[in-house]
Amino acid sequence: MNPPPDAKPPVLNPALSPEKTLRRLFLTLFLRGRSSRGLRKEATPKSVGSKLALTLVVYAAFGLIALAFHGQPVFVLSVYLHSMTLVFLGMFVASSAGEVLFNKEEADILMHRPVTARALLWAKIGVLVQVSLWLAGAFNLAGLLVGTFSAEGGWLFPMAHALSTVLAALFCTGSVVLVYQLCLRWFGRERLDGLMTTMQVLVSVVVVIGGQVVPRLLFRPGGTPKFSSDSWWVALLPPAWFAGLDDAIAGRGTGSSWLLAAAGLIATATVMWLAFGKLARDYETGLQALGETVSRRSPRGTRRRWLDVLVSVPPLSWWLRDSVSRGSFVLTTAYMMRDRDVKLRLYPGLAPMLMLPFVLLFQNRGQSAGAPAGAFDGFGLAFAGGYLGMIPLLALSIVKFSQQWQAADIFRIAPIAGPAALCHGARRAVLLFLAVPAWIIFGLVAWFLPGERSHLPLMLPGIIALPIYAMAPCLGGNAVPLSMPSEEAKSAGRGIAMIGVMLVSVVISGLATWAWSGGWFWWFVLAETILVAGLYTGMRASLASARWDSVD
Amino acid sequence: MISLQQLTKRYGAQTAVDSLTFEIPAGQIVGFLGPNGAGKSTTLKMLTGMVTPSAGTATVCGFDLLREPLEVKRHVGFVPDSGAVFESLTGLEYLEMVAALYAIPRDSALLRIRQFISFFDLSFETLTDKLLGAYSKGMRRKVVITAALLHNPPVVFFDEPLDGLDANAAVGFKALIQTLAREGKTIVYSSHILDVVERVCDRVIIIDKGRLLLDGRPDELVATHQSGTLEKLFTQLTGGAEMERRAEDFAKTFRP
Repeated sequence: MNPPPDAKPPVLNPALSPEKTLRRLFLTLFLRGRSSRGLRKEATPKSVGSKLALTLVVYAAFGLIALAFHGQPVFVLSVYLHSMTLVFLGMFVASSAGEVLFNKEEADILMHRPVTARALLWAKIGVLVQVSLWLAGAFNLAGLLVGTFSAEGGWLFPMAHALSTVLAALFCTGSVVLVYQLCLRWFGRERLDGLMTTMQVLVSVVVVIGGQVVPRLLFRPGGTPKFSSDSWWVALLPPAWFAGLDDAIAGRGTGSSWLLAAAGLIATATVMWLAFGKLARDYETGLQALGETVSRRSPRGTRRRWLDVLVSVPPLSWWLRDSVSRGSFVLTTAYMMRDRDVKLRLYPGLAPMLMLPFVLLFQNRGQSAGAPAGAFDGFGLAFAGGYLGMIPLLALSIVKFSQQWQAADIFRIAPIAGPAALCHGARRAVLLFLAVPAWIIFGLVAWFLPGERSHLPLMLPGIIALPIYAMAPCLGGNAVPLSMPSEEAKSAGRGIAMIGVMLVSVVISGLATWAWSGGWFWWFVLAETILVAGLYTGMRASLASARWDSVD
Repeated sequence: MISLQQLTKRYGAQTAVDSLTFEIPAGQIVGFLGPNGAGKSTTLKMLTGMVTPSAGTATVCGFDLLREPLEVKRHVGFVPDSGAVFESLTGLEYLEMVAALYAIPRDSALLRIRQFISFFDLSFETLTDKLLGAYSKGMRRKVVITAALLHNPPVVFFDEPLDGLDANAAVGFKALIQTLAREGKTIVYSSHILDVVERVCDRVIIIDKGRLLLDGRPDELVATHQSGTLEKLFTQLTGGAEMERRAEDFAKTFRP
């Protein structure tokens, strides 16, 4: 059939611009995760709406803490909001940026397409900022209401705070990207991959520790601030710059607030200019470096790696007599030290856990200084002993996930009846390289603190319970290292386990402190040792009987 | 169509590609061969604008690699040996994304994708329902080949394109590239499967340690060197002649 004479030619649905296509691509990849290989069809993250909504609800729930700042001046409320926003965003951007900015496989997919490196960079930055703003928006929701209905804030506060939050998100994203760009420029592309991992871990750890320390510097227990916008040292803290903008527009509008606001604007503009303008050329170099493979001669020559030497000499060779456990130990240690994906999940995850015992130790000292000895003296030390037991629990629940999980099929192919020996190897690796050093460092700090040395035995009940903490995640053969896809790593189950361990730690440390003050501490230690020995033997037997489940 | 002038890539003191110079006219299928680490992939990555040369220059379709990299990229298709795709996209999402990067209108892209699906015996449902991560290796390779040819480039670089393809798909693919070459496309075909190269390619270029060793028609090269097959010629040139004897000796170590 011929078309009518006045019919217009069909209009083709135009292609999205490359810029929009890239933004949409990176947002999809970010939300779904980079790899979905082998995931069950029903488990594939096709619909990300619910996942994202849940994350935003969690952030909004965290934001409800801002309700406690009702009645505080705008500046104080804003310092709190921006501190926490920068911590959350810093953690998010630091943990995501390396993978988003420098993905190895991406070079093979995109670098031969007609798009510039700058377009790639801008699309990625756009996605990072976009998701940052969603998270920041959710977290600041309650704070916006508090500010709006405060005596100082009013209707100007939401607008001012929205503006300052956008600036804070840009500053945060820009700062992390800038750190990567500078590393690339200073240390060269040959060491890019290892450097990215180290930087990402360091930035994450610094942000996490900063998130623990800064609020304690700024606020007294109960939320009373130790500062105002006139305090000179406040100008050194980025959250105060952005809070200054809120205070200048919707608060007191003093000269010092305007100065802080100006500092925030200048800092953000500078960071953006450096990260996305001046150093953007280095990004192309970095992307290219990921696409290049060159075998470099090892400076080590024929020397064996330290890990191989370590496991082949006593006392480790005695502890790792079984060859399967030894192999699993070496594998787990190597991934904890070398693998970017594992390191990025492990060390930032452990950082807040390591901080809390120190905070407890010092806080306890601050409160009890000059106070008479009481029944619960040393509780902080006892609690820290038990709390550090979470290290192997958390670490084992992290190292069982890997991007190279399919390689773990080798364990099932090998003539090994069940996963027990593999779990033992992983358990020993996290005990030796994570839990023991943490205990030694904490013990040393406590040893050198005046007045704490005599309470050091209170750490013993926690240390005695350690084999149980480390064995628990292995039950049922659930701690086979690197055997599950990273995308399946769920923190909800881990969170419940952590709460359980924390409660057990509170009970043990409470009993230990009570026994200490009652003079029957060593009897308590003996009883606990017998109980732990019995439990441990039972758990070990249970693990030994675990068999491989079917792979469907 | 492709012209290399002293093209070189260095990584510190190591030279991966050393002053390669050759030309490939339109409509030719060129087998690009070399042992592992010879510099084949690096050369292909330079010619597709993925890696910047350390020295020398090259033109593809008349566009200078250093001065007009985006034009070069618009005129080439590339199937990398990694077969990398974004695993959390469906096949259709991936191909539509690639089409958009070449500014192909969506309707045209869909039409073209359907033609490829039909050619490769893929189902449209698979392409729309399943994430690429769940595809078999062969299916993924088909998607990667589709993505390289979707914008109808005059020059196509294939790095181990048959990896993962079943026998029928491999036969179809070989026929496809021969027909494409007859239609005027330039094909650079890098592979270790030398009998396929011998049958499909009009010309072979063999490199080792980044340097050009041989360049000519496969039958002429085999005749000149009296090697019988391209595989034997290749092993003679690249030090693999001893391999069979070594393999026999090594196999003896498996005796109980």
